[in-house]
Amino acid sequence: MAYGQRNRANVTWSICAILLAGCVQAVPPDLVTAIDAIDHDLIALRAPEAAPEEYAHFVRQWVLLKTRVQSDDDLIRWPWESNDLEDELRRLHDEGGSTVARLNDRQAFQRRTAESKLVRLEERLQLIESQVESINGRIVLGEKPVQFDLLIKQARSFFEQKDYERSIQAAESASHTLLAQTAVLTRELGRYTEDKRITHWQTMAKQTVEWSRVHQSTAIVVSKADRVLTLYKNGRKVLSYPVRLGFNGIREKQFQGDGATPEGRYRVTAKRGQGQTQFYRALALDYPNAQDRRRFELAKKSGRIASAKSIGGQIEIHGVENELMAQTLGCVMLDNPHMEALYERVSPGTPVTIVGALTGQNSVALALAQLEDRKEET
Amino acid sequence: MIQIRQTFAPLALTVLLVTGCAKPPTEQIEAAEKAIKEAQQSGAATYTAEEYAKLEGTLAALKKEVGDQDVKFALFRDYGKAEQLAASAKADGERVKTEAAKKKEEAKAAALQAQQVAQESVKSTLDLVAKAPVGKDRAALEAIKNDVDALKASLNQVQTALDKEDYPAAQTQAKAIHDKSQAVSTEIQNALAKVGKGKPSSSKKK
Repeated sequence: MAYGQRNRANVTWSICAILLAGCVQAVPPDLVTAIDAIDHDLIALRAPEAAPEEYAHFVRQWVLLKTRVQSDDDLIRWPWESNDLEDELRRLHDEGGSTVARLNDRQAFQRRTAESKLVRLEERLQLIESQVESINGRIVLGEKPVQFDLLIKQARSFFEQKDYERSIQAAESASHTLLAQTAVLTRELGRYTEDKRITHWQTMAKQTVEWSRVHQSTAIVVSKADRVLTLYKNGRKVLSYPVRLGFNGIREKQFQGDGATPEGRYRVTAKRGQGQTQFYRALALDYPNAQDRRRFELAKKSGRIASAKSIGGQIEIHGVENELMAQTLGCVMLDNPHMEALYERVSPGTPVTIVGALTGQNSVALALAQLEDRKEET
Repeated sequence: MIQIRQTFAPLALTVLLVTGCAKPPTEQIEAAEKAIKEAQQSGAATYTAEEYAKLEGTLAALKKEVGDQDVKFALFRDYGKAEQLAASAKADGERVKTEAAKKKEEAKAAALQAQQVAQESVKSTLDLVAKAPVGKDRAALEAIKNDVDALKASLNQVQTALDKEDYPAAQTQAKAIHDKSQAVSTEIQNALAKVGKGKPSSSKKK
């Protein structure tokens, strides 16, 4: 009898133990931890800024459910009982998880976009710098290169801070500045690509060579785009030397101090040997001539040149004053040995024709074409 | 006696029902809303974005809780949870306000420092340009002058960003200006070295 009673008690305890073991917590702690982790991921992915509406929805749900989790913390339930709170937590977990995945994708896409934009812009920066350097046109661009450089640096900073959206914004602004640079170059130096203008320059050069032939004398032709001076004698090329121009030499001279080298037909007015010039020999030119004066007055009248400006003068072909110096203010400068050779062969009255370019394939036109071709790449 | 009981019993029940009805914690909710608004005004949405989003989430949960209780039969309303949420939103709002203000001040201080460094850098570059002789190597120096002018103008953009309280933009701009200014200074030094000790050219027409 006693044995039977003990058996029954054991069975009862066993059933109770099984039932208790079958009970589960109303809120699975792992699930709460997982949602918390998703919240952290969303924060790390800058969800409040990148997906404000989705994050606000997530947070609203999470705060509500957290409150319920706290109040149901002590409850247990049978495994077969339905559990709305757990269902809602699972739904939030899934929604949050998919937002994390989407933001991850979006961030990766933005990072790739920002990076490729930056790389393209930096390549373009190198190209434009080398092209502008090759034609000595940096000054033409004014403040734009610095604006562009600053924007690229900013874009790079934002990129390093993982703020890809602002990095892309800065890169796009840089891209606009770059387009503006190309536009300025095209506007200011476009004449080097104009067939009509090039034909005119070619005619001027041919006439100078022809004059040399007819008068059995010397004549000089300077091409600004190619930075070359050529001496003709009796209509034949005698020598050809590289030259340096004014600091703004690639432009057409407009007024005193603009650093541009004039274009036109001039003559050597005087030869200045050692002691007569600050340079190593110089050939003075008759700039401004009558045509220059007419052009200058017209420009002043039309307002293209301020009324206070002067036309300038004392344009020369000269040697180097100081071997360490590399530029002139608007003259044509040669290395001293070349200057010596030229000086010996030229006399006052020698025609000097300075033109922008002698062919359509000149260095400025080629640089502009390259920049134009790759304009769309950014 | 029975008559008295019959008269007062419904009255007592009514009093019990009326006094027993729970009311929403309007004042606490208003205090919580005020704290959240102040947090937002102190820049929480920018400087402690995730905390601010959580505050807004709490406020939304609080409103939902109040709404859920409001639709219940008067006797069964319980605003205890709403009170808890309101208290927590208020406390968090005040904490986030302080935190955001602190972070904003830190960002401002960093941006102002970067601005000062950039200004000093541009000034020393300007001084270098002023020292450059008006010699013959004008191309580099004239281009450098353009660059320095651009840097000076860009300092205004830093100030504009500071005025708009966009401190991250101000800081990155200032840093970029400083870096560029350093590069320009190096370029000037090189140009000066190239010009050497040659005396400035005499003033001439050109």
